[in-house]
Amino acid sequence: MKLKLKLLFGALLHKKLRLLLSLIGIIIGVSALLIMNSFGESAKVKTLAEIETFGPDLFMVISGSARVMAGRAMQTEQMTTLKVEDAQAIRNLPGVKNISPVYTGQTVVRGEGVNLITTVNGVNEEYVAMRNYPLLEGRNFSREEIQTLSKVVILGYKIKSQVFGEKSAVGEKVLVSKLPFTVIGVLAPIGVDASGQDQDDQVLVPYTTAMSALFNVDYLTGIFIKAESTSTLPYLVKQVEELLIKRHKVDPKRKDFSILKAEDLVQAKEQTTRTFSSLVASVSILCLIVGALGVAGIMTLSVNERTKEIGLRLALGAQRRDIFMQFLIESLFITLAGGLIGILLGLILVFILLPAFNYPLIVPVKPVLVSSFLTIIIGLFAGVYPAYRATKIDPAILLKSG
Amino acid sequence: MSEPLILLRDIKKVFVVGKISYEVLKGVNLEVFAGDFLAIMGPSGGGKSTLLYILGLLDKPTSGSYLFEGREVSTLSEAEMAHLRNQKIGFIFQAFHLVPWATALENVLLPTLYRGSITEKDVKRASLLLDRLGLQNKQNLKPAELSGGEQQRVAIARALINQPSLLLADEPTGNLDSKSSQEVVKILKELNEEGLTIILVTHDPEVAKSAKKVKFLKDGVFVEE
Repeated sequence: MKLKLKLLFGALLHKKLRLLLSLIGIIIGVSALLIMNSFGESAKVKTLAEIETFGPDLFMVISGSARVMAGRAMQTEQMTTLKVEDAQAIRNLPGVKNISPVYTGQTVVRGEGVNLITTVNGVNEEYVAMRNYPLLEGRNFSREEIQTLSKVVILGYKIKSQVFGEKSAVGEKVLVSKLPFTVIGVLAPIGVDASGQDQDDQVLVPYTTAMSALFNVDYLTGIFIKAESTSTLPYLVKQVEELLIKRHKVDPKRKDFSILKAEDLVQAKEQTTRTFSSLVASVSILCLIVGALGVAGIMTLSVNERTKEIGLRLALGAQRRDIFMQFLIESLFITLAGGLIGILLGLILVFILLPAFNYPLIVPVKPVLVSSFLTIIIGLFAGVYPAYRATKIDPAILLKSG
Repeated sequence: MSEPLILLRDIKKVFVVGKISYEVLKGVNLEVFAGDFLAIMGPSGGGKSTLLYILGLLDKPTSGSYLFEGREVSTLSEAEMAHLRNQKIGFIFQAFHLVPWATALENVLLPTLYRGSITEKDVKRASLLLDRLGLQNKQNLKPAELSGGEQQRVAIARALINQPSLLLADEPTGNLDSKSSQEVVKILKELNEEGLTIILVTHDPEVAKSAKKVKFLKDGVFVEE
């Protein structure tokens, strides 16, 4: 059996460098396809996770107009019309489970000699539970701390790590906008939510403290609302919209606020992912076509070089169909070898790139199957023409006498 | 007298190139019996190659009758012709035509590939053939590591592996020095004495002398010397 294979395909390994060169196109194409597919699969998982992080029953009112761009909620204009009283009015609507006024700003946090620019979110005592934030240590705000404008802070995981490292932060002092705050809690690592914000790179303070002591404003940047259930969310969104239009006395077409749901954010992001995926898909298909042409070229060259061998095989009793199969299988073998290397390379890169781009690591079963299948198709496609040419060789070339 | 191994009657072969046609064989008649050793000589372009090609079942004549072991060749399918080439005919060539990536032993075994599976018996037989042809220590060498005479001996072993009834040799000494030539001719003579039918095409009168019969092919027909 081994001898039989050697006699059929020994020529393949005869020119190893050339074999490798003919593989490169296939290797690049297959690995690119695999990586692209893996990112697609991973993005789906990531999107679901982000909806979960944001909360599928959660929505937010944003002051001014906001647009969803590239999967991120971008506030395009700042308004000063969203007040704490609006939040209190919304709380009285039926179907509201929790609500938190939010004032979001950028500030400098200083502690242990480390200065960090980060997002400060002024929120109330319900916010942590609404967002399902797990606490690594310490505790949540109390209602009293919110009412009394206490200078207490809950640190995001990255902030805590950068300032305090491994040691406990609860009870320590940090400066937020140069004012001393007491750390009462630390959030466990969360990641990026559907709005595209890194939930680990933030600090939480009472919204009352944020509005008065830190930023000296009388308005909110947003309101977070949690519906009693996911099914009542669309109804509640409508109620909130009507209520705010009435309270702000604005034209429904020129609202001074926007409402964003996890769904809106995710939809926009999926759109971006799809566009990107189809671009990469076209590029890798192009790579594979070039790779296939490369294999076809190398095989044609090989047929031309091996006319004597082909003639000899015919003289020794091979039929033209044996010759056809031999060269088709050689092409298939080259392509499969390239495909296998491409898949291995792709897998290595997937396991490096996914974590590097903050994508959840998945085992790309479907992408591997798709790549393998495409490789076989390409091998057959690339092999047919050279194999056909091989069958056209005239064994007369063996004879030398006149 | 028994039935001839080969019987050619009025064999013609016409090649058409564009609008011009060349009649290379113009009515060849030939009888070859089992055990014959025939040398075919003649000038270049006389049709020797074409005749050998037809005799070796690599092409069919344009007209005429060719009986190989009593079977009319023109009625055979491609598969049947391939099978006969594999089982009944051994070829040796001027340029040896060994595959460069395979060892001497593997080259000898190449014809068995198209017979079906390669058995232990085949490997043993190939090894014995190489021994007999004086290559016992060179079975695992590649053709590039062998001299011309050694390569031709590997080719002879390859031609014999399937125990053919006919050996066709196309200028087998054309690429060899005189010493190697003599060796190859000696081998062919021995094989003939053991009963193998040989048809040899050559330019070399010395080589032709070793045959039992010599025929001259000129302008597509056999002529008297």
